Amino acid sequence: MRKLMLGNEAVARGAWEACVAFGSGYPGTPSTEILEALAEYEEVAVQWAPNEKVGYEVAMGVSLSGHRALVTMKHVGLNVAADPFFSSSYMGVNGGLVVVSADDPGMASSQDEQDNRFLAKAAKVLMVEPCDPEESRWMAREAFALSEGFDSPVLLRMTTRVCHQTGVVNPQEREAWSPKGYLKDIPKNVLLPSHSKARRFKVEERLVRARELSEASDRWNPILPGSADIGIVTSGVSFGYVREAMPEASILKLGMTHPLPIERIRLFASRVKRLVVIEELEPYMETEIRNAGIEVTGRELLPFTGELNLPLVEKALLGAPRHKVTVDLGGVQMPTRPPTLCPGCSHRGMFTLFRDMKLRVMGDIGCYTLGALKPLAAMDACMCMGASVGMAEGLEKFGGPKEKGKTIGVIGDSTFFHSGIPGLIDMIVNRSAATLVILDNRWTAMTGGQPHPGTGKDIRGNDAPQLNVAQVCRALGVQRVREVDPFDLEATRKALEEELAAPEVSVVVAVAPCILGARLKKGEAVQIAIEECDRCGACIRVGCMGIHEKDGFPDVDPDLCTGCCVCAQVCEKGAISLPGAGRA
Amino acid sequence: MDITNILFSGVGGQGILTSSRVLALAAVHAGLDVKMSEVHGMAQRGGNVDTHVRIGKEVPSSLIPAGGAHFLVSFEKLEALRYMAYLRSDGIAYVCPLEIPPLTQNLKKDSGYLKGIDGILEEKAPRVIWVDAPAMARELGDLRMVNVILLGALSKRLPMTEEDWEAAIRERFPAKVQEACIRAFRMGVDHVASNH
Repeated sequence: MRKLMLGNEAVARGAWEACVAFGSGYPGTPSTEILEALAEYEEVAVQWAPNEKVGYEVAMGVSLSGHRALVTMKHVGLNVAADPFFSSSYMGVNGGLVVVSADDPGMASSQDEQDNRFLAKAAKVLMVEPCDPEESRWMAREAFALSEGFDSPVLLRMTTRVCHQTGVVNPQEREAWSPKGYLKDIPKNVLLPSHSKARRFKVEERLVRARELSEASDRWNPILPGSADIGIVTSGVSFGYVREAMPEASILKLGMTHPLPIERIRLFASRVKRLVVIEELEPYMETEIRNAGIEVTGRELLPFTGELNLPLVEKALLGAPRHKVTVDLGGVQMPTRPPTLCPGCSHRGMFTLFRDMKLRVMGDIGCYTLGALKPLAAMDACMCMGASVGMAEGLEKFGGPKEKGKTIGVIGDSTFFHSGIPGLIDMIVNRSAATLVILDNRWTAMTGGQPHPGTGKDIRGNDAPQLNVAQVCRALGVQRVREVDPFDLEATRKALEEELAAPEVSVVVAVAPCILGARLKKGEAVQIAIEECDRCGACIRVGCMGIHEKDGFPDVDPDLCTGCCVCAQVCEKGAISLPGAGRA
Repeated sequence: MDITNILFSGVGGQGILTSSRVLALAAVHAGLDVKMSEVHGMAQRGGNVDTHVRIGKEVPSSLIPAGGAHFLVSFEKLEALRYMAYLRSDGIAYVCPLEIPPLTQNLKKDSGYLKGIDGILEEKAPRVIWVDAPAMARELGDLRMVNVILLGALSKRLPMTEEDWEAAIRERFPAKVQEACIRAFRMGVDHVASNH
């Protein structure tokens, strides 16, 4: 059977074929669709975790129970889960445990470009890397047996172009596999220092055994024979570019990249005149190969950042790309088209206020990070999940009189549940006077609308327990918590001014559903009384696709405008209104 | 390697992903290998998006090289121009005459959409075929039909039969809109047959 599948869907298929009992993770591009696809298989228990660390720990518990478990995250998510990831390497597994790290070379949707192959090496666990959807399926499937065979979590390392590559897959039947049952083993599973010292030797023994497999396996690390003039070592998505750029070359295609099969590479190198490594991001394989005393090139032929593509690999191997670019766009001033908040987005009014109130905004990860882009440009910093809270506390304390009463942390609801809560606890107990604004739209929106603890739904859309953001803040001990309607700019501005003036920590929760997540019926578009417009441009500066310049005046696109009236509220002339309603 | 490269471009939310999926499914029905690269995440929010579809007997990688696209199918004029350098010297651009102004403008006159873009497109592209799919979709009473109309316009130059395309449409769309999609697809086929 041939079936068209996304790489991420193929991972879910492979895990299902391997009788995985449980899947968890936190949404993050490019990993998100794996769990969503796994939820389509009713035999598997699938759930979103509030963050990657928790997801990993629940999966570890499932493994201890003797069942197979999958946990998925983007590359920076593995930083959050690094604590259990490193320590579980010492414990090993009972039922197979497969960890997906979806890296993002080129930073299509991420704040950094870290290469998580180094984390597999540092944690001393096995790592496999598929190149396309069919490999994503069978590697995900086989990874569970590897995990059990080597008593190790297995890192299934994907990249954006593997996760989001669609291709032809040959799905197989579910294998016959039964859960093992819980096994109490205190020296193995209780990581007291004395136990860990013993486990440390087991970890090293595991790597020796795994290297033997990596060295011997034609399935994981096949040699594709070709010309003796050049031998290319490659892995993951780069394999396709190499195959296409130089079909005649000898290729050692590595599917298992930790531990690396150094002797296999040495043998391969001895059969070719010149050895080249083609790999994306860091020279991970090349450095290991060179350290083993094998002569090799690669890094100097390729850019150090960004994802690879066929022309880059052709340039590295052949000196120039095969395809010539004949269309010349020189002289054309091409307007850029950055992503923007959707028309009707509940964040737009908030960031319009932050900008107009000249606040210091410590931002966070989500759709609302787009509030940093022009024309809103209302964010001063954004680092990683949950960081807005701590950064606001630190800046407010040490920023001097200019930042007093001006500094806010801005965080989405999903990010607040993910890792904002410990930051808020710090604010409370360390007597911060900063203000935290929580944008509560009830969805993990940027990754495509996944439910979170505040949504009241599970991954399959069934009703689930629902946490209330304001209640959580009050229960932690914040005395000043208030909810506002982010579409009511005047009331929200007043609330912000009062809370900023308060000499203690306060929380403002802006409650309004994500316009995509809630699938609201589009409202009627606003209309503009052009004769009253003084062309001040305030309405354009809310940064909405629904309103744009036409012949020097604002013009509304009725197909896009949702009638949210943020633009109407910033118009001092009152020239914008809903049809039938009075002027705003 | 005999690979046909089709690049789709437009603005996030226009249905580009759906079009490319239908094309890929039609290729699978025709017994071909296919690889496709999609855009998810941040870029989808009103930014420019592109998907790459490559079909042939054996397709090793999913990204179309610059200068290697046989066809560019663009849902929007500015996004046709932005990706024009992907076209081969004998490539064809199928373009919707639709203008979605980017947000990088202000209220100064002439700051908005690239002036004279139709002429620039005709001059820069090896060949342009205008397909007013939004107008045709409006005629059919469903703006979402734009993507299948564009596929119809392109279809005669690809190695898939009408049966392959129909099967792909039936696989991708819910039963209640399948017939409308197939009608819209044929409208795209007829448009190119009668105009080019």
